[in-house]
Amino acid sequence: MSSRRLREGPILNFKAVLMGEGCVGKTSLVLRYMEDKFNAQHLSTLQAAFVTKKVTLPDERRAQLNIWDTAGQERYHALGPIYYRGSDGALLVYDITDHDSFLKVKSWVRELKQMRGSEIVLIIVGNKTDLEEQRAVVYDTATQYARTVGAQYMETSAKDNEGVSEVFELLTQLMIEHHHGKQEDEPNSLRLQSGVTTSSARALVVGPLDDADPATMLDRGPAASAHRSCCGI
Amino acid sequence: MYSTGRAPQLRIGTQDLKCKRGCGFYGNAQFDGLCSKCFRERNDERKRQKASASSSSLVLTSTGGTMERISPQNLLGRPHQKNKQERDKQQPQGSSDVAQTLQKKKSIVPTVLQKTLQVGAQKLTPQKHYVPDPTENQFMLQLRQLGIPDDGKRKLKKEIQRLDLEIKRYMNSTANSNNKNIDELSEMVQNAYTRFADLVHSDPSFQIVSNEDRDSAIDFFEKVVMTQNHKFLFSPYFTADEENDAKVQKRIRQLSWITAKHLDCSIDEVNAESRDLVYNAISELVGIDSYYSPQEKLECTVRCCRHIFELLKRATGGPASADDFLPALIFVVLKANPVRLHSNLNFVTRFTNAARVMSGEGGYYFTNLCSAIAFIENLNGESLNISCEEFDALMSGEKPYSTPWESALLACESLHLISENMKRMELLKKRNMVITTGISEFERELIEFQSEVTRKVDTVYAKAPLTLLPIKTPAFLISQARAQLNHSSDDAAALISSGHYQSNLLNAIDVKDVSCTDKAKSQPTLLAPDERYADAAHTLALKDVSISSAGHLSPLHTTLPQPDQLFASPIFNYGPFDAVSLLEESSDNTDVLMLGTEFQGGLTNINYDFDLSDKSGENSVADDSNVNLDEFDPLAQQQEQLRTLKVEAQSAMTSGILDSTTDSSASLIDSDLPPPTGILLPSPLKPEVSNYRGFSNFDIPSISCNTGDFSSLGQDVNESTSSDVGVVAKK
Repeated sequence: MSSRRLREGPILNFKAVLMGEGCVGKTSLVLRYMEDKFNAQHLSTLQAAFVTKKVTLPDERRAQLNIWDTAGQERYHALGPIYYRGSDGALLVYDITDHDSFLKVKSWVRELKQMRGSEIVLIIVGNKTDLEEQRAVVYDTATQYARTVGAQYMETSAKDNEGVSEVFELLTQLMIEHHHGKQEDEPNSLRLQSGVTTSSARALVVGPLDDADPATMLDRGPAASAHRSCCGI
Repeated sequence: MYSTGRAPQLRIGTQDLKCKRGCGFYGNAQFDGLCSKCFRERNDERKRQKASASSSSLVLTSTGGTMERISPQNLLGRPHQKNKQERDKQQPQGSSDVAQTLQKKKSIVPTVLQKTLQVGAQKLTPQKHYVPDPTENQFMLQLRQLGIPDDGKRKLKKEIQRLDLEIKRYMNSTANSNNKNIDELSEMVQNAYTRFADLVHSDPSFQIVSNEDRDSAIDFFEKVVMTQNHKFLFSPYFTADEENDAKVQKRIRQLSWITAKHLDCSIDEVNAESRDLVYNAISELVGIDSYYSPQEKLECTVRCCRHIFELLKRATGGPASADDFLPALIFVVLKANPVRLHSNLNFVTRFTNAARVMSGEGGYYFTNLCSAIAFIENLNGESLNISCEEFDALMSGEKPYSTPWESALLACESLHLISENMKRMELLKKRNMVITTGISEFERELIEFQSEVTRKVDTVYAKAPLTLLPIKTPAFLISQARAQLNHSSDDAAALISSGHYQSNLLNAIDVKDVSCTDKAKSQPTLLAPDERYADAAHTLALKDVSISSAGHLSPLHTTLPQPDQLFASPIFNYGPFDAVSLLEESSDNTDVLMLGTEFQGGLTNINYDFDLSDKSGENSVADDSNVNLDEFDPLAQQQEQLRTLKVEAQSAMTSGILDSTTDSSASLIDSDLPPPTGILLPSPLKPEVSNYRGFSNFDIPSISCNTGDFSSLGQDVNESTSSDVGVVAKK
């Protein structure tokens, strides 16, 4: 649980948020990965909103993956920051047959970049490749966009179980690499990270959420983190 | 049930009107619910006690009055008394004081209560002396249970005390009383957590401890410190938490018109089952405030959210995603309107281990709760899919609204009543069903029983039909019948066709007749051809059968065949029929016939046996009898056997027949060998009427008869006849 253990223990604990419009298949993706099942009727789990899984990468590196699902409806869009604060990665899912969902992903990416900068690993996932004939978002367009924002792009089909585990493995791998990269840069980065989350959470809760002005939060976040890092350890 | 369970009783039962001492008289409120006599007695008693023990009489009166016979209704009806009692109990009293009052109570209070009071006093006494903090006790216990070495426990204790001191010092310091900052405090606590976590993971005294135990040690550290300092750290005066609480509360109250539909969530507000789950979630959510440590508050949040997921799983049929969950949580928060919402959330955010909020299930749910509140604080018409004007109207209360949730809440009381009544009706229905099925079952059983009884009676009837025989047939009737019979042998044939018994009977009759005719015209019959003899012989056999069957003759026919006794018919021993038959012995064949026709069944055979004595008529239709006998299977077989037998034993037979033809009684007399039974074949001429004991007794005399009878036909015949007896009996 503690940061100390995270640094020293063999298992790293990562938090990844799952974002995407409703009906793009976020839940199916998660459930396919967790239980290798597509039809929700046959699932034993009570919920698909918060799942956790130990991932072992091909190179024997292991990590504990916590996936936080977020509400995709437009009306809850403003609540995003509360979820993705302190997260190490984000899966941005869209439906390749639905161009609007791709636009939604774009807006999230903007927001995430604003809020978390380079601290977060982004993977854009185009889901529902089983509906190739109805494709509305061209593969190249998506890849190009991903490259411009520094994100990875993958396409999956939760229904046909194509590329699902690859997405989560890539995410884990990227987060581990990112984590190690940060550690090399700055030994106290992990502690710093948790400090950011604490203070930003406070900022969000204490005052009424003002998502119209994410810039202030962005300002507040690093400030708090800097403050925390000096008195942290 | 409903009314008694809730509303206090307005009617006072007779029991409550009576004197509380239970003397049977009616009590009076002026006399403390006692009757006048008991009241006076009690007063006298009290005066005496006052004189003896001067102190604390007040306590005595109050407790003494209420301690007596209190029914639940009494408690309901007199809340003030109950309160008084409680107050007395709560009153800080020295243990000596309690003991003193107890002494006094003993005299008034019934013995049963005395015991409980003593027990209560014993329990009460230590509590007065030692007042430990229950949570402190609990922590001591938990500390003992922690899986860390004593060295580590000491360190843990030290750290706890250190942080405790730090917090208290910060809170009490007057220097910065005007610029106290909750963030500083939070950082201090968080740093302490980090420090302790470092200590747990690096200190040599924690070397051997497993990771789980380390985590629990960290959790314990947090829990103890937070519980002890809850009063300082929870919603401190220098924060705006309280104002925010009030604001959120007001906001939620304003938003009470929001329905599940507005939030696009799948909660069915009217469904009773989902309502129950929503109630569970709400009670957990409200319960967050009642816990001291951030950990417990988080656990409570998790429980609340699990209820919501349960609810959603039922509604959607699969695991719920955040798309369903967040709206549902918002709905629950809106309907619950928990107290001190902001304070609680901030308390958790500030003072729980930062790592916990950031990861794990608790952290996720807590984050969702935070975002739900953020949504509630910021929502507008757009976020509810309604126009801004409508939103404003609804918020200001201009536009009336009705939500299924609220109306369901309003209707709750009556709904409860309805459902309660429904349940009761269902119960009654079930009982009614049980009764109905029981009735039909019973009815069926009755019918079954009836039919069984009928069947049994019928079988008994069939076995032994009770028929009253005319002891004496009028002579003219007999003569008439005989005349008829004599005239037409057709009649006999008709009779034969009517059944086995009768055929037997008639055959026998015929045989008898034959024999009789033989008797009468002895020479011609004797001169008859061999067949004739054979016929006669097997008719004799037949006769035997019928005899044995008729009388249910006892199994005593072990005697050796005595050809000489062939015609020593034992039948003459039989009671009534003998009498009848013997009376008309010489003349009536008809009598027998009549009897035969009249009495079908086992007993009639007896009648037939009389025919042996008949020596009248000369319808010697031996051939006919043969034909008729064929239809009677066992007998027919027997006939075959017999026939062969008879042919073999013909010589002896003939002599026997010759003997018998003269007179049956004579045959016995004439027999060379006396009957093995030795006893008495009484003369048929002198029927023993005195032997008659009704039908049931008629086989008693048969014992003697058997021997003579079966002797005529060899052992085989005896055996076969006995088997035939069985057949006949069955019939």
